[in-house]
Amino acid sequence: MHETANNRYPVLPFILIGLGVLCLAFGSYFGLFVAPPERYMGEVQRIMYVHVPTAWNALLAITFAFVCAIVFLFNGNFKWDARLEAGIEVGVLLAFLLCVQGAIWAKPTWGVWWDWDPRLTTTAVLLFAFLGILALRKFVEDPVKRGIWSAVATIIAYVDVPIVYFSVRWWNSLHQLQSSPATVSSQFYIPLRVNAFGILFLMTGFIMLRARLASLRHVNEIAPPPMMAEEAGELA
Amino acid sequence: MSGVVQGGMEFVWAAYGITFGALAIYGVTLITRLREQSSRNTSERSGQ
Repeated sequence: MHETANNRYPVLPFILIGLGVLCLAFGSYFGLFVAPPERYMGEVQRIMYVHVPTAWNALLAITFAFVCAIVFLFNGNFKWDARLEAGIEVGVLLAFLLCVQGAIWAKPTWGVWWDWDPRLTTTAVLLFAFLGILALRKFVEDPVKRGIWSAVATIIAYVDVPIVYFSVRWWNSLHQLQSSPATVSSQFYIPLRVNAFGILFLMTGFIMLRARLASLRHVNEIAPPPMMAEEAGELA
Repeated sequence: MSGVVQGGMEFVWAAYGITFGALAIYGVTLITRLREQSSRNTSERSGQ
């Protein structure tokens, strides 16, 4: 049930982070200086090249956490609990950035920083629900209870993810509908896709490192205190 | 009123700056936390 983690540094997450930085540098340069301004939103539309990739990857990170929660409840392996914690933390970071970018984009286009619109409200609910699960994990000391409770809470909170996605279709919303490659010019979707891969690589690297941190903490939690270990050694 | 948003590059720079700044800070704190935890585990293991 308990899996140990050694202290060696993995190389793959750092390669992914490096790739992510390269993609984001290229995609953002293209989006900021090469792509033309949009007909109605003008220069402000350039926020899309960072806002939409953040949204996709935030939902992906939360979905990863949801899968980890299900696997953990089935097999009880703490490797999946560590991955769950990592997915939620990175997902919360991206969801927070998503709300901030959205507010910055809303001010010049809608005239307000925030509106209780269905898409914005459901995204805020998602952010605070998963922030709550991170808080829950901080307060529960027993690793088994913490793992089970946070896995169950993750599954319940995940119900909001499809609601966030479909909110613009289900209700009248200020937020625009999802675009598709057929409705977006190639000069717009090149920086959009490059930045999406950039944030995906960065997010994957971060999740791998954060899961490693959670595993190391878990090893530390379950390790017997020095006195007990000595006594166990004498008994053996 | 033309219905077209005029200017606004300051909003674009703010969005990019906050995003990349936050991601960079998170990356640095993550590596710092990982190093601290690794050395804590090593020292506790050698203490046993």
